[in-house]
Amino acid sequence: MLKVVGVETYYGKVKALHGVSLEVKEGQLVTILGANGAGKTTILKTISGLVEPENGTIHFNDIRIDRKDPEDIVAMGISHVPEWRRIFPELTVYENLLMGGFLIKEKDLLRDRMEEAYRHFPVLRQRQKQRAGTLSGGEQQMLAISRALMLKPQLLLLDEPSLGLSPLLVQDIFATIKELHRSGVTILLVEQNVNHALKIADYGYVLTTGKIFLSGTYEDLLDEEKVREQYLGEGKYTRRADLWGG
Amino acid sequence: MTDLFLGLTQEIISGIALGSIYALIALGFTMIFKATEVVNFAQGELMMVGAYVNFFFVTTFLSAAGTPTAWTFLVALGGSMIFSVLFGYILDFIINRPLKDEPIFSVIMATLSLAIIIRAVVAIIAGPISLMPFSPFGDSAISFGTIIVSVLDLSIIGSAIGLVIIFYYIFHYTRWGIAMQATSEDPIAAQLMGIPIKRVYALVWIFSAVVATLSGILLAPRIALLDTTMGFLGLKAFPAAVLGGFGSIPGAIVGGVILGVIETVSMGTLSFHFQWIKEINDIIAWIVLIAVLMIKPDGLFGVEKVKKV
Repeated sequence: MLKVVGVETYYGKVKALHGVSLEVKEGQLVTILGANGAGKTTILKTISGLVEPENGTIHFNDIRIDRKDPEDIVAMGISHVPEWRRIFPELTVYENLLMGGFLIKEKDLLRDRMEEAYRHFPVLRQRQKQRAGTLSGGEQQMLAISRALMLKPQLLLLDEPSLGLSPLLVQDIFATIKELHRSGVTILLVEQNVNHALKIADYGYVLTTGKIFLSGTYEDLLDEEKVREQYLGEGKYTRRADLWGG
Repeated sequence: MTDLFLGLTQEIISGIALGSIYALIALGFTMIFKATEVVNFAQGELMMVGAYVNFFFVTTFLSAAGTPTAWTFLVALGGSMIFSVLFGYILDFIINRPLKDEPIFSVIMATLSLAIIIRAVVAIIAGPISLMPFSPFGDSAISFGTIIVSVLDLSIIGSAIGLVIIFYYIFHYTRWGIAMQATSEDPIAAQLMGIPIKRVYALVWIFSAVVATLSGILLAPRIALLDTTMGFLGLKAFPAAVLGGFGSIPGAIVGGVILGVIETVSMGTLSFHFQWIKEINDIIAWIVLIAVLMIKPDGLFGVEKVKKV
């Protein structure tokens, strides 16, 4: 479904991605793990068209998208929930959802999608007239995800949905992601929270300083001593149970 | 005592009319600033161009039709509106698009230059002389008891209220209006929703040019004089916007009205009673500006701006 080949992205003169290749197949939940500054967010921004790659190609359903504008890429079926959620704080919850459905022209369809979002997260219905900035962190994340789902994307890009949330809410968010995946949404999830992310993912990539360092299934990565040493900075004496355990 | 009270009421009404125009200028200015972070020093020149274009249309139709009728002014108004839409669109293209992400200093220099260029071009086309704009209402006035209000002032206040309601409706109840708000809050998130932000910016400049043109059309007959210095009045958008709270749209409107009232009242009291305080209305706005910056920099409706990382 999504095929990223040899992508190099620069911020000004700084090279953020050194030839990243990855693939997401239909129905998969793929996760990209990596420390701060490894380039995880940049990969998602490059896919959704916010930054243009210098080299490499990105194909979505066999159509090349790496030179397209963000609004065209959204219209093709890729929705991106950005880091720190970036809901519109001064707009109401309802207006945020409305903007999520900006590309929907038919009023009935828009109303149906809105209804679906409210059914999914009843708290959003209760707060629909409230300004989104007044919501709690967890509610804002639900809003950000619902807003991205208004277009019924084929591929959902999630950038650190657990950022800044309490452990309890993190569990909720991951349960939500898992449920979304089960309902048939293909997901590319960027996370620092290795524990949770790998548990729900079909496949994972580990990124270090702009390069894919490792990739594999949950079991592959779980066994991989190198993940712990290189990415987590843990020695081999750290008890595995502490790292990967629930 | 009653004389003083009557005089004051008269001044205040006249001040509200003048302030309505300031409010419209500040509204256009703030819209651009909020959406694109461009500080447009040429906002007053947009107003001046609007007044000239409208004058051109009115005189052209008059020379064609002879006697002025309501239609003359309405058709001229329509023509000016079409012009302002095109003008705003062009400005978005030549000013906003190339300069949007440049440092604020470059943007200020560019819009200041634009203001000077516009003044020069208008002077070349229209000639350096002052013109006498027509008021569609002549000198007619309505008296409420002992208070006399000119129909022109009433129509200015009425148009300003009407415009503010229209804009409020657009911003809060239409898809594109809410998209404008969303874009000004977070352009990146807006792009991720599929909102074509370039078109939103063009729309903001068009709106701004339309409001500026309307304020020019309303202001010209009130000062009964039309020349290229009219644009300087547009600088009053700054004290108005700062007074209301820089970057706040309700603040721009309220700040504009208050500023107009302060000007006329100070003129009617201070300059009237003390011979040595002449033309206080020309400087009072700037005194207010400095005072607000010193005492309450956030203005009346000021919101602390939290920059997103």
